[in-house]
Amino acid sequence: MKRRDFLKFSGAVCAALASLSLDSKFVKTVSASTMRKDLPGSLGAEEIPSVCDMCFWRCPIVAKVKDGQVVKIEGNPRSPANGTAICARGNAGIQFLYDKDRLKYPLKRAGARGEGKWVRISWDEALDEIAYNIKKVKEKYGPHALAFFDHGSSAAFFREIFEALGTENFSNEPAFFQCVGPNLLAYLYTLGYQAVDPAKVDMAEAKVIILFGSHLGENVQVSLVKSMVEGLAQGAKLIVVDPRFSVAAGKADIWLPIRPGTDLALLLAWINYVIQHDLYDREFVQNHTYGFEKLKKAVQKYSLSWAAEICDLPEEDIRKAIDLLARHRPHVCIHPGRHSAWYGSQDVNRHRAMAILTGLLGTVGVKGGFYFPTEPPLEKVSFLAGEHEEIEPPETSLKDDYPFAELFHGSPTAEIIKATRTGEPYPIKLWGVCGVNVIQTIPNPYQTMEAIKKLDFIFCVDILPTESVLWADIVLPDATYLERYDGFYVGKETRCYVALRQPAVKPLFESRPAYEIAKDLAKRLGLKPRYERVEDWLEAQLKPSGHSLKELKKTGLFTYPAKPYRSREELSFNTDSGKFEFYSEAFADEDLPPLPEPDFAPAPPKGYARLLYGRVPVHTFAKTMNNVWLHFEWPENHLWVNDEVAKRLGLKTGDEVILENQDGYRSERPVKIFVTPGIRPDAVYLPHGFGSRSPMLKTAYGHGVSDTFLVTHYEQDPFMGASSHRNNFVRFIKDGKVLSIPELRPVPKELSRFEIRKRV
Amino acid sequence: MSQWAMVIDLDRCVGCHACAIACRAEWKVPVGEGYRRNWVKRLGPARTPYGMAFTFYPGLCNHCDTPVCTTVCPVDPEKREFKDPKTGKKTAIFIRATYKHPFTGVVLIDKERCIGCGACVEACPYGARYLNEELDEPKADKCTFCFERVTRGEEPACVKTCLARARIFGDLSDPNSEVSRLVKKAKRMVTKEVNLGPNVYWVGQEKDLYLLMQQAPKERTWENV
Ligand code: SF4
Ligand code: SF4
Ligand code: SF4
Repeated sequence: MKRRDFLKFSGAVCAALASLSLDSKFVKTVSASTMRKDLPGSLGAEEIPSVCDMCFWRCPIVAKVKDGQVVKIEGNPRSPANGTAICARGNAGIQFLYDKDRLKYPLKRAGARGEGKWVRISWDEALDEIAYNIKKVKEKYGPHALAFFDHGSSAAFFREIFEALGTENFSNEPAFFQCVGPNLLAYLYTLGYQAVDPAKVDMAEAKVIILFGSHLGENVQVSLVKSMVEGLAQGAKLIVVDPRFSVAAGKADIWLPIRPGTDLALLLAWINYVIQHDLYDREFVQNHTYGFEKLKKAVQKYSLSWAAEICDLPEEDIRKAIDLLARHRPHVCIHPGRHSAWYGSQDVNRHRAMAILTGLLGTVGVKGGFYFPTEPPLEKVSFLAGEHEEIEPPETSLKDDYPFAELFHGSPTAEIIKATRTGEPYPIKLWGVCGVNVIQTIPNPYQTMEAIKKLDFIFCVDILPTESVLWADIVLPDATYLERYDGFYVGKETRCYVALRQPAVKPLFESRPAYEIAKDLAKRLGLKPRYERVEDWLEAQLKPSGHSLKELKKTGLFTYPAKPYRSREELSFNTDSGKFEFYSEAFADEDLPPLPEPDFAPAPPKGYARLLYGRVPVHTFAKTMNNVWLHFEWPENHLWVNDEVAKRLGLKTGDEVILENQDGYRSERPVKIFVTPGIRPDAVYLPHGFGSRSPMLKTAYGHGVSDTFLVTHYEQDPFMGASSHRNNFVRFIKDGKVLSIPELRPVPKELSRFEIRKRV
Repeated sequence: MSQWAMVIDLDRCVGCHACAIACRAEWKVPVGEGYRRNWVKRLGPARTPYGMAFTFYPGLCNHCDTPVCTTVCPVDPEKREFKDPKTGKKTAIFIRATYKHPFTGVVLIDKERCIGCGACVEACPYGARYLNEELDEPKADKCTFCFERVTRGEEPACVKTCLARARIFGDLSDPNSEVSRLVKKAKRMVTKEVNLGPNVYWVGQEKDLYLLMQQAPKERTWENV
């Protein structure tokens, strides 16, 4: 800014100004209680308790409303999970609600698929068209030709519709087959309960916390971050296993910058070390576990020095870490992480090994370790009335190759896309998509787009015109979470609660709450919604709780007693053996490894670095990049490059490079690099979700680079068919020249090398 | 006299930016280059003499003991009466359009008298102010320690939303307050060149404070204003 010539006119302006003192004015407004909404900031606003939906964590909130506008969002102080705290995204929910680019009316495609050319149509027309196409496809190709991709609260109602239509592909939450599935499965088959979503670990009470690649702090889920920070403030030690120096690593006592894809070596060696050195919990192992002797035998050859070489870590550090963990058992937290579809074949096993370590240290049902969820006093009431027939599986199911896919809703995403592209083993001709940007979420978006081109019909229910929405034949504008009711959200943490999402304001434009949309669609398909009014549906669920909807509308939530811990006498496990399972007969029966075995990701091809990705704390997936406040905080992503590598290549922070992956795909534009010692030389790190390709997202469009468009290679895990994301590699292009990444760390002979396929 | 202050605990802060957005929402800070009352800068990962560090600079106005922003304000001083929000006691002092509140030590802007010249914005060595040119008549704006909220019994917006309870707000004149206890081992952002008696403090690991202090101002900007 330039120095201004203000003295000239300041006197005149001042004289013209009113001479009221600030303080006397403020005292006046306070006393006039009728003017409460005229108080500054969000003071004096009407407060409507609800539940956040800026990410899937769903923290209880209070929406503050003045003159029919949401002016502020805060945490619900009654919430035992987050209290008054909400994250950046939760705070920025207002700009989601008032996003200028929101979908405003039902739309019908007028151009080619993917072009985003539409005409406005009426709700009746839009729903008629969808119902007509669903019926037509079902009649012609059978129910399995229908597939539904979903995420978030709105999707629940449509999922029931697709299930009632009889398709085995009635749900494809990227949450399972792209993300948390292998992890869920591993813990389910070891501990016998769903311990992972949300992570049922009690970090606030732990003496030692270990994170494997989990980047809490950058990945923000309020109650989890709070509990980690509380634990650390109480003196917990922190061990972080991560090729990158994450925010958590910055707070860690031990950082283990592991070679990506070799975690199983570290885990197997630790398991063996704990057994050999008699550091395990004998009482727990003797009385509560299954298969210890087999485990002991299977791991006996894995030494710390063996792991040190494979993982490229100092042996001293890995010994220190395991000693620290073992010394403080059982009050140690071996965090299960969340996203686990990393490398394919090893994913379930890697999490099994983490769970096994948990059992050896006896850290189950105790403070600081895994706790047990407590079910809420709610009645399960489906959205649709009446019994539906069991889904009749097709002759060849998309789950046939994956014995444990059955546990999850729907079929493996990669199989659905394959079937849609090729018509094998059966044709898929119609997609419904709700709340998920399939193009920026699923590996190899080129195949996803190719699949969409083959469809007879695709419709999207969403709030913003994402790149996936651009491909839709019919687009339905959903109301945001601040404008609608949804199912209850249950927090089954160490303190339990049931929270209500309710509208703070009326839906804007012609958008409608998902419940209403689904209801009208169901009727057109000959299905019967149980309740006309969403409030009645909610009230019916509350029956056993003794609470009423009226009360919840005021308080936002009720708490109920939790029983997170168990004495050793009380411990029981809901597994086949009734014990904590080191050895899995169920896996053995399916010819899958009953015990974790060495299984390492191949090293990068010469000249390439492994592409790692993750979150930034102000964004959710690829969902929030158009939010003007969040965009202001974090408009684009930067590529983390190791400082030694950068030096060799003559690059510095701020330089721009194009990324080219192993299949020859290039980033849509150059990305700025961030040079740091905080990443290994054999990997680069690109925050996820940027590089929007939808020109209708005017804030997000053209900023940063999409990691998903560089994840073109994937492998499916043999248990459930989840698609891996981390076997992709990049090199740089600068000024038209290829820059090969130097190999600074030796690759041991145990590791294979990724082979580059023929160029596209 | 009281002095409101804030201590930010870098051991707790995870750099989530919630504080920045809560403030923007509470005070309707428009989106625009440099428009913010508080901010979170990311520092590192980088090597320090104390080991590898990755920390944050959650910054805001320091509500300095001897603010330069108020002295450069060209608006003619006028006499105003102020009330102690705690005791109700009154006093009258001469103030320019921006001034240090006599009972709380908070540095405030009288928006009705601010002429939007930007002198204070330029003077602050911490970059704690911005000129809001989205208004019909531009006005300077900055952190008020949420004066309006605090005097009504609410916490500052950033403090209330902080996931990590990393921001501790209170009154230094109260020896029993958490801030009074914490400032004893806390650091302020002062350098040889610039020391205005800031009332925002930081605690944390040595390596994190080392990175943070690299952000401390060395340039005496106000002398060119
Ligand atoms: S973690 Fe943040 S975005 Fe997710 S639900 Fe909680 S407040 Fe909302
Ligand atoms: S809200 Fe708290 S934890 Fe988040 S960046 Fe601000 S000070 Fe740090
Ligand atoms: S930090 Fe800057 S704006 Fe705040 S009181 Fe000090 S000089 Fe003034």
